[in-house]
Amino acid sequence: MAVHIVEDDPGVSDSLLMFLQGMGLVAYTYPDAESFFEADPPQPDDTIIVDLLLPGISGAGVIRWLQELKEPPRVIAISAQSQSAIEKQIRGISGVEILRKPLSSELISQIV
Amino acid sequence: MVAARFARGSSGPGMGEAEQHASASSSVSAARLESVLDTAVDAILVINEKAQILVYNRACEKLFGYSPQETLGRNIRMIMPADYAGAHDGYMTNYMTTGHRKIIGIGREVRARHRDGTEFPVELSVGETETPEGRQFIGIIRDLRPRKEQERRVNELQADLVHMARVSAMDEMGAALAHELNQPLTAIMLYLQAASRSLARSPNGVPAAPDVFRQVLEKAVHEAERAGGIISRMRQFVEKRDPQRRAVDLNAVVEEAVELTLLGLRTNARMDRSFAAALPPAVVDPIQIQQIVVNLLRNAFEALRDRQDGIVRVSTSRQGDSFVVAVEDNGPGLPPGIVPTLFKAFSSSKRSGMGLGLSISRAIAQNHAGDLTVDPGGNGRGARFELRLPMIAVPEADEGDDVDTMPAATPPSSASGVDA
Ligand SMILES: Nc1ncnc2c1ncn2[C@@H]1O[C@H](COP(=O)(O)OP(=O)(O)O)[C@@H](O)[C@H]1O
Ligand SMILES: [Mg+2]
Repeated sequence: MAVHIVEDDPGVSDSLLMFLQGMGLVAYTYPDAESFFEADPPQPDDTIIVDLLLPGISGAGVIRWLQELKEPPRVIAISAQSQSAIEKQIRGISGVEILRKPLSSELISQIV
Repeated sequence: MVAARFARGSSGPGMGEAEQHASASSSVSAARLESVLDTAVDAILVINEKAQILVYNRACEKLFGYSPQETLGRNIRMIMPADYAGAHDGYMTNYMTTGHRKIIGIGREVRARHRDGTEFPVELSVGETETPEGRQFIGIIRDLRPRKEQERRVNELQADLVHMARVSAMDEMGAALAHELNQPLTAIMLYLQAASRSLARSPNGVPAAPDVFRQVLEKAVHEAERAGGIISRMRQFVEKRDPQRRAVDLNAVVEEAVELTLLGLRTNARMDRSFAAALPPAVVDPIQIQQIVVNLLRNAFEALRDRQDGIVRVSTSRQGDSFVVAVEDNGPGLPPGIVPTLFKAFSSSKRSGMGLGLSISRAIAQNHAGDLTVDPGGNGRGARFELRLPMIAVPEADEGDDVDTMPAATPPSSASGVDA
């Protein structure tokens, strides 16, 4: 299994990568939804961490796309916005775990 | 004029027996003139060619604290600050010999000195008259302190308002800025966790490579600096401090405003900068100019909300003796109804808009002897705002010293000697 990180902030993306690699996981980063779609589709046992606020296609768009896959992988949405802003963006989407930034590492390791 | 005859006190200078006798016949008009002088609100003084005080009305007593007995016949120097009391006789001699006027018939702002040593600004107008006793000079003096105090209050209120607008802009950007701070904080936490994990793992065999470890820490430091940068950028913008003009790189001020705006705003509109090369330094209050540009940029981005292909263009250029900072977008342009009142306070088409941004921006521009104008666009064209600032020679000395932001109320101080 692998972890795919779709996050436009280079600092957050790189530190997540290091952190996950430090836990012995295989991880990849993508600066936006478009480059994630261009790569090979994720495996069913992969995990996708996606920032809700992305330039271009939004994080919610990525989640919807993933949920339409035959065997949807696990999705964790991350966001630094307020709870109400998050709810507005993922309205109509179910089965998503949400982590608010700043991310606490215990939370991540629990989920991953 | 007959001023010498109204010198109160035992023996007026230059008053011979004959004149004292003659004055008796005009004592009625003398008394009338004296009462006129004493009714005057302004301080009125008459001196002779030797700068001796011949007339000193009641308003003078209040203004300078000396009684007529103490002043009549004495040199006018006594009511001048030391730094130019010494020069005054020289000015008078100079005028007497060359006839070159520096104050007579002109009037100007000078400093005066009270008996208790207090120095204060006054407006002095001087008239000249020929008398049988020689030339005499009449000075009318108005205390400028009440006006100065009022100007100071007005300046203070304006500065408060301008500051309040910055705080309110920052308040609107607050949520987005918190978001922006969460990014480096998240990164720092993850980097440090990764570093500490690699140490914890090292005893059981695989020691972390020291250079990888150091690299992770350096990245964490970099993110901490980024967080610090966001905080100091915000703080600089909202901190209350006295308006200050100094020579700055206008491009850098505009760039700072762009960074701050982008921090406090989530948008998918593109930002396009085009800065003129080799601009001379601009003498401005950099935070206030930044405030104007932030206002214009935020308005532009707000006009582009719900648009996919939005572009905001900011440019700096030099046009003749002016700097021009232009902010242009490809939004809908100004709502037609709003144009006539656009730069007035509380003119807004937004639900949560205060409508203060543009009115305060224009006030700041005009206080810098510049202006803020708009091409409203419409029919497929976006609005274009132009901030124009005069190119001013960089002051050599006291650069960075306080220069009042609201010069409308504060003419450059011309306090200098009471030169004749
Ligand atoms: N770039 C722009 N495009 C379209 N309308 C604008 C633009 N800039 C300003 N406006 C209009 O001018 C109004 C006044 O702007 P401003 O003084 O900054 O107050 P506020 O932003 O609080 O409404 C706005 O409400 C908006 O209608
Ligand atoms: Mg505005």
